[in-house]
Amino acid sequence: MHISDGVLSFGVVVIGWVIALSISAFILWRCKSQYDLAESIPKISIMTAAFFVASLVHVSIGPTSVHLLLNGLLGVVLGIMAFPAMLVGLTLQSFLFQHGGITTIGINNVMMGIPAILAYWIFRFGYRKGFSPAFLGALCGALGILLSGIFLALFLISTGEEFLEVAYAAALVHVPIMIIEGIITGSVVTFLLKVRPELLPFDMEV
Amino acid sequence: MFSSKSIRIIFIAIVFMMLLVPGVSAHRVYLQEQIKDVQIKTWFGGGDPMVDAEISIYAVKNGQEELYIEDRTDSEGLYHFTPKLGVSEYRVVVSESGHKNEKTFNLAAGSLASQEEAELPLYANIISGLGYIVGLAGFAMYFSSRKANN
Repeated sequence: MHISDGVLSFGVVVIGWVIALSISAFILWRCKSQYDLAESIPKISIMTAAFFVASLVHVSIGPTSVHLLLNGLLGVVLGIMAFPAMLVGLTLQSFLFQHGGITTIGINNVMMGIPAILAYWIFRFGYRKGFSPAFLGALCGALGILLSGIFLALFLISTGEEFLEVAYAAALVHVPIMIIEGIITGSVVTFLLKVRPELLPFDMEV
Repeated sequence: MFSSKSIRIIFIAIVFMMLLVPGVSAHRVYLQEQIKDVQIKTWFGGGDPMVDAEISIYAVKNGQEELYIEDRTDSEGLYHFTPKLGVSEYRVVVSESGHKNEKTFNLAAGSLASQEEAELPLYANIISGLGYIVGLAGFAMYFSSRKANN
């Protein structure tokens, strides 16, 4: 679901970079001032590595080739730190795998990172309300993909594409990915809650 | 002096050589191949073809670009087109919902089935990416431990 170089206009690319860098800077500043980041560095690195490699897992269905994103999982496990973690992962993906473009790292970060944060908020809200974590994990894993598809369609409006058409097509081809990531996120969350509940960021206030 | 035997041998040899020379023709034949069809193959990383992707072909002549064909790729990610007469340089742009790439090539330049770009094997890229992540983690840990010591 990465956007390549040369698809979007210069203005959209610049806006993408500005939003991505300012959100990342804000999150890093916020987490640094409120929590001890040193403890969560290994966790963040492992999830970044998983995100980086996940995009190589392809599922070819229909006219396009889709791959795992894991943005819902990153959101649920890392909280808002998922956003800067993805900035690192996307940079490595674009340089080493040529997934997405180098100029579009910013816009891709917004496209996948904001759904991750939303998935985290939804998960935390549901968890505090007492919903089953496995169900919430599956829901948020799928939601991360769906929301990214909607963001993709939003950005492609600027190139003259029809919003509903792209959003519908993106959602449709990503249905298998949504199912796979729902299962992955649901099982990872259940597993972590059993063995290391302190790894999940539900006591964070941001 | 040459003996009559050696003269005879030379004579026979000359006759033989004349027999070996192919018949001399009065007209020189020119031959030039005409490339009739250019095949474009498009695929995603991982090897899946880009089916029904938008493809634009620009003919480049004397540095001037001109849109030549706009169409879509077939179900195998292939597209065929006939080159414009006298134009050998083309720029092909292919895009499909956010994915895009382009390539400029010259038909006169010889090797037609251009080689796929040589690149590091995938596992090397994966390992180097993981290496970067470990390095960044170490960097971050170094700074946070310094802060803790202070």
